[in-house]
Amino acid sequence: MRSTTKNTLLKVVILGDGGVGKSCLMNRFVSNQFDEHSFHTIGVEFLNKDIEIDGETYTLQIWDTAGQERFKTLRTPFYRGSDICILTYAVDDKTSFKNLDMWRKEFANYADVKENNQVPFIVVGNKSDVPTEEREVSPLEMETWCNDNGITSCIETSAKSASNVQEAFKMAVQHWLKLESRADKSETVINDTVDLSKKQTENRTSCCIGSSDDK
Amino acid sequence: MYPSMRSIELFRSVSVDDFDSCAACLLKRSNAMRRKGRRVVAGQRVLLRDEKDRLSAPLKGKNGNTSLIPYRRILKNLRRLQMKEQQKKIKDSVGVKLLKKKKRTSWFLKVKDIYSRSDERIQQVDGGFFEKFGSLFREHAEMAKTKEQEEKREVAEKAAEITPKEGDEEDNDETTLPVIAESEAEDSAASASDSDSETEKDKGDLIAAAFNIDELYTEILYIIIHNVGCNVEVSQNALFSYAQDAFRIPNDKHRKLMEEAESKADPELMINVEVIEAKELRSKDSNGLSDPFVTLYLASNSSHRYNTSVKSMTLNPIWEEHFALPITDKSIDDSLCLEVWDFDPAETVKEKLGKIFDVKGVKGMRKLVKEIAVTATTGQHVNELIGRANIPLNTIPASGMTMWYSLDKKNKVTRQGIVKVRVSFSSGKNNQVAQQEHRHMRRIILLHELELSKVAPHWWCGNFTYQGQQLLDQHIAQSGLTQTEVELCAYSVYAGVHQNHPLSFTLFSKSLEKLVKPLQTETICEEEVKLFWEATKKLLPSCFSIIRKIRKKGTTEKAVMKQVIEVLKILNYIGILEPRNIELFPSNLYPWVTFHGDGPNCDILGTLSDAVSQGANDWLNHLIENNRKPDESELARLQNLIQLIQLVRSDLQKAIEFYDKLFIDLVKFQYAKCLYIFYQAKIATLCEPEVREICKSLKKLHYIGYSYTSAPTNSDPEEDPLSEGTSLFEVYLAVQRFVTLGQGLCPADYDTFHIKNFHQWFHGGVAQWLDIAVYKALIRIEKAVELDQLVHVDTNLKYSSSAVDALTIFYQVKTFWQQLNWPDVEGCYTFIAKIIDDICRCCVFYADKMAARVDGMGDSQDVYEKKFEVTNEWCLAINNIDYVRETLEPFTRDLGMEDVLKKLADIKSPVEADRCRNTLNNVISNAIDTVRNKIIELLEIVANKMGPSMKRLLIEGAELGSQGCNTIDRLMMYVDTNLSTLHRELNDENFNRILEIVWDLLSEILNEIIQTNLEKRRPPPFFAKLRETLNLMLGSFKNPDDCSNCDALRRTEQILKINGLETADLIHQAYIEMANIFDKSKETPYGEISFRCRFQGDSLQIEVINARNLFAMDSNGASDSFVRIHLFPEHKFIGVDKPKTKTHNKTLFPLYDETFTIDLNPEQASIEDGLILFSVKDKDMLGYNNQYIGEAFLKFKDIPRTESSLSSLPQVKKWLCRPTTTETNVLKALETRQGDKQAKDFLRKYKQRMGS
Ligand SMILES: Nc1nc2c(ncn2[C@@H]2O[C@H](COP(=O)(O)OP(=O)(O)OP(=O)(O)O)[C@@H](O)[C@H]2O)c(=O)[nH]1
Ligand SMILES: [Mg+2]
Repeated sequence: MRSTTKNTLLKVVILGDGGVGKSCLMNRFVSNQFDEHSFHTIGVEFLNKDIEIDGETYTLQIWDTAGQERFKTLRTPFYRGSDICILTYAVDDKTSFKNLDMWRKEFANYADVKENNQVPFIVVGNKSDVPTEEREVSPLEMETWCNDNGITSCIETSAKSASNVQEAFKMAVQHWLKLESRADKSETVINDTVDLSKKQTENRTSCCIGSSDDK
Repeated sequence: MYPSMRSIELFRSVSVDDFDSCAACLLKRSNAMRRKGRRVVAGQRVLLRDEKDRLSAPLKGKNGNTSLIPYRRILKNLRRLQMKEQQKKIKDSVGVKLLKKKKRTSWFLKVKDIYSRSDERIQQVDGGFFEKFGSLFREHAEMAKTKEQEEKREVAEKAAEITPKEGDEEDNDETTLPVIAESEAEDSAASASDSDSETEKDKGDLIAAAFNIDELYTEILYIIIHNVGCNVEVSQNALFSYAQDAFRIPNDKHRKLMEEAESKADPELMINVEVIEAKELRSKDSNGLSDPFVTLYLASNSSHRYNTSVKSMTLNPIWEEHFALPITDKSIDDSLCLEVWDFDPAETVKEKLGKIFDVKGVKGMRKLVKEIAVTATTGQHVNELIGRANIPLNTIPASGMTMWYSLDKKNKVTRQGIVKVRVSFSSGKNNQVAQQEHRHMRRIILLHELELSKVAPHWWCGNFTYQGQQLLDQHIAQSGLTQTEVELCAYSVYAGVHQNHPLSFTLFSKSLEKLVKPLQTETICEEEVKLFWEATKKLLPSCFSIIRKIRKKGTTEKAVMKQVIEVLKILNYIGILEPRNIELFPSNLYPWVTFHGDGPNCDILGTLSDAVSQGANDWLNHLIENNRKPDESELARLQNLIQLIQLVRSDLQKAIEFYDKLFIDLVKFQYAKCLYIFYQAKIATLCEPEVREICKSLKKLHYIGYSYTSAPTNSDPEEDPLSEGTSLFEVYLAVQRFVTLGQGLCPADYDTFHIKNFHQWFHGGVAQWLDIAVYKALIRIEKAVELDQLVHVDTNLKYSSSAVDALTIFYQVKTFWQQLNWPDVEGCYTFIAKIIDDICRCCVFYADKMAARVDGMGDSQDVYEKKFEVTNEWCLAINNIDYVRETLEPFTRDLGMEDVLKKLADIKSPVEADRCRNTLNNVISNAIDTVRNKIIELLEIVANKMGPSMKRLLIEGAELGSQGCNTIDRLMMYVDTNLSTLHRELNDENFNRILEIVWDLLSEILNEIIQTNLEKRRPPPFFAKLRETLNLMLGSFKNPDDCSNCDALRRTEQILKINGLETADLIHQAYIEMANIFDKSKETPYGEISFRCRFQGDSLQIEVINARNLFAMDSNGASDSFVRIHLFPEHKFIGVDKPKTKTHNKTLFPLYDETFTIDLNPEQASIEDGLILFSVKDKDMLGYNNQYIGEAFLKFKDIPRTESSLSSLPQVKKWLCRPTTTETNVLKALETRQGDKQAKDFLRKYKQRMGS
């Protein structure tokens, strides 16, 4: 229903290999639940959740995608118009970490975004609760990879123990805010070219809740 | 039908892809016309003549047939009618369908293209429709061609030996064949290549024929000389010259051979007579019956008599006895005499008759009967002649006849009865030799006639000229060949000739019809059976060629049908004969046959199936080859695929409508199904890699959010992802339709078809299609908004055209989805989520466009101010969006999500299906919310536009008061009209929503006004007047009660009310507030007080009873307390006592037990909101600064008005309290009255009480 406050609506997509815990992350974040035996996602799942940052309420429209390869053609249509992309791997699964690059490219390819650094990517290493001997990716490796790829936000989470889950989403929004303010500044500079990020900005600032954003 | 017209017809009924070949055809034809003038009509002439022949043939006294003529005619007419109708149907169904699809421009272009291209291309097409495909096939065709040429040369050489001149002529003749023949040349070439022309044996035959040609010719001359039977039409001389022509014999040689023939001994000719029966014989015996027998002899040799048996006691005897009478006298006057006698047995004869029962076998019997007859005729004349018939030999046709003759008797005019005999000629020739001769002869005559008449391929169906026929009949008669023998000869000759000059298939089917029975039942010598199969092997390739070229252009539908029918009949007959151990389909002639069995291949249906597939394959390959262009764009490739599938489909359609029944009826072969099985595999292999590749490399459609790059700027259509995606979808639909066809056509095999899972090829395309759908929807929505006149679509409906349009557009998206009919459930679910999200996007886009459309409407500027009027357009815009929003949910249901979820629960699990359901529901409600927010956004815009005017109204009202002021009236009018516009135009929900927004806005405005005016220290009357104006304004809202829902406004109004109060009233409000707060408080540390009060008349009686658990104020842990009584509002009780109790020292449980009576005037006593305050204090030792412990209030309205004594009333207990907050609106209002001493004093005391 009508809310008196004018929330900003953000479209968030969660990407990553099948089984790294994307759906668990979302469920932990949205309903604070954890399911030990969750099914592989079919195509996509969708949930809404408000998050408050610095007194502002943001409504996150979260699209949790299916990581299995066979769903590729089904999930990619949902990338278009995303504001935030959460790249997810599991710390006990080296392959899922190695695949981050593939995911980043897939997103960039289908989200219709031209410059990579305009996309608010954040990297989430899930399952941080696993015992050290099962760990295959260290926080250092994650940071190195992010540095190499120009991604400034990364965090280790555990959907199981609920550690850092809220923080991860918060970090994502903050990252977006940072980019947004940068884009605002640059807007005055590039005025003659049609630029995707600029359009988004215009829309967003002029709209109240629900005005969208899911371009 | 004229051939030229036929060709036009064809153009109509073929679609784009065939134009290459057709155009070539046309070209060829027109070239031919240029060369030959009227040649085109020649074909027609042939046809006419052929028909005439057929019609006249039965009239030529081929006895038995005569009666059949009318029947045949009827049949023919019927068939013609049927054909016409079928053709019409073809035109109607297939033709029209194709016609619709066809793009005229493109074929015109193509035709032009061909014209401009070199002759080489035309030649290529001339070379054959299908033949040029596949290197193996081409090689084979070339091989066959060279072989054929070799043979032709050989024959020509032989012929040249005899008649060098005419041989040349023959060559010339070939080039001047009629046009139809020419157009069919490709066909004969085809059949030649198919059949590998002549086999070794056939070649031998031909050479033998050449070697023996003199001998054979002599034989022919001999036959003519010894003509038997009647020949009215053709003179002997005509026959001679005909034969000379046919055999190409030069005159001198003819003369020489003629002498030879004349010198040859007369033929050993016999006349075969079967005495069948007699009827209506005259009775000769006393019993009214006769005992008839027949005597027969030739007039020239009356002593040589033959007798039948005697049939006793009958006038309708049946004999069915055969006799062969040698013909000795060649005179034309000779005749056959038949005499029917009544047998009158003499003693001696009787004796002989007795032997009848002793003899065995027909021959013995005949002998015996003859003897009896001889006895009878030569003995005493006891036998009586019934009648006689004379049959001149020259009335008997060479082919023989069966006929009734009437019997007469000298001097008698009365009828003696009739006798039926069958007469024919035969010879004592060696049967094998005769047959061979006959074959050669028939072959030569046929070739001669074919050349003479220049009959088109596939036309000739068995009718010779009179001369030719007569020669053949004579030969049959003089050689004594049986019908079956003749038929076999004809069959094998025709089959041979057919290889070089195709004959009508009707000829063969009729021939087989006659042969099947004899071949099955009669004893036919091995040699002849072998010949039959050899001939069949020669015939079959052309049959399968017809099947394979069932789609050949250049012939009419009717002709093709007819040929197919005949071919199928042929196959059926051959099937009936159950060929075994015969290599009917040698793999060198049938490279396309897939036979894998052991032993020789004689599987007719298997080969038929292969031929059907192969034919379809050739056709398809031809289409593909013709359409292939180097470096084609993906778009062109897709369009080719679409065309291809459409053509295949219409081919199947035609197969189902026209051919399937024929194949099933005639050979029990499921033609359409066979075709489909072939096509589905082919289409799958053609489309799958192409589609998969294109899906992988689809270019993204670039459009962003609600704005899109208007009309594809990319001028190159090949590069346009939009048309590419659309074409891909068309391919999808085409394949889908094709697959559906297969489900119906072959339900049993459907599951094994690879094409069944065709949707998987398109996986990557669906997202693109959805994008395109959204993109198109956005464009249309923008257009719809632009075109919207912003008037009600209907007096009852409060939205305008673009809302209806938007809905239509959504339903187009839905239709697209339904058309897609995506079979994969997981995909379905995901795509539905996407579509809902997309539709939501369209809605928002629509809302934005709508808002932009009405923006600026209703704004105006007059002398007084800049103002805004709510216009119908604004309301329409809001209603439109709402209307669209309302349809969102039903729309999503229409996408079939329930069905999909059910299937998901089945194939995955109910838990997962539930998750998916949640997601869909979330997406839907998210969509609905998003659009609803859009509406609210718009409502806010409207409300905000009204804001300034309302603000002005309120301020002016507060400044000027509401009475008699023009401005106020005007402003009131403003609010009133705008609100009633909203009320009238908006639905309740939106009207209430906008009211809410207006109220929110109002309280915002009021707060602002209050704030600024408080700062300006405006006196209370200002606020009072403001409040009055506000209430006036709220009165113009339709239902002021609604305002009670609006907390913000109520609070604001409260604040206004408070600020409008004089300070004394305000202070009293503060007490009332305190009283309310205190009454609610539970146990306090300050203690509890008990009292009783009552009004007796106007006097107030108060009994202060005690206090308990008082707060210890002193260091000794006790208090020295007393109670003072105040009455409020203070300014209304000026001069009234404020009694107090005695002080009770050092106790926390004082027993005051004092009663006070305060006399009030009636007004004071009846003050509604009057209060009693019990203030408990700690007596200061000095009595100078009493300390405050706590207080309690009692409201006047809680005090009983009674006459009964105080002591009878219940005690009232109240906790003692202290004020705790300054945050109430009343106190805040007091705080603002900085200059007011009264207020200041109150607040100071109040804070003291709080602080202590
Ligand atoms: N130990 C541990 N296990 C987790 C955590 N998060 C998820 N899992 C487990 O990982 C498995 C997969 O989790 P999901 O959330 O379904 O994985 P997903 O990324 O959504 O997989 P797809 O939907 O196939 O893309 C489940 O069995 C979870 O119980 C975590 O933080 N710690
Ligand atoms: Mg998942």
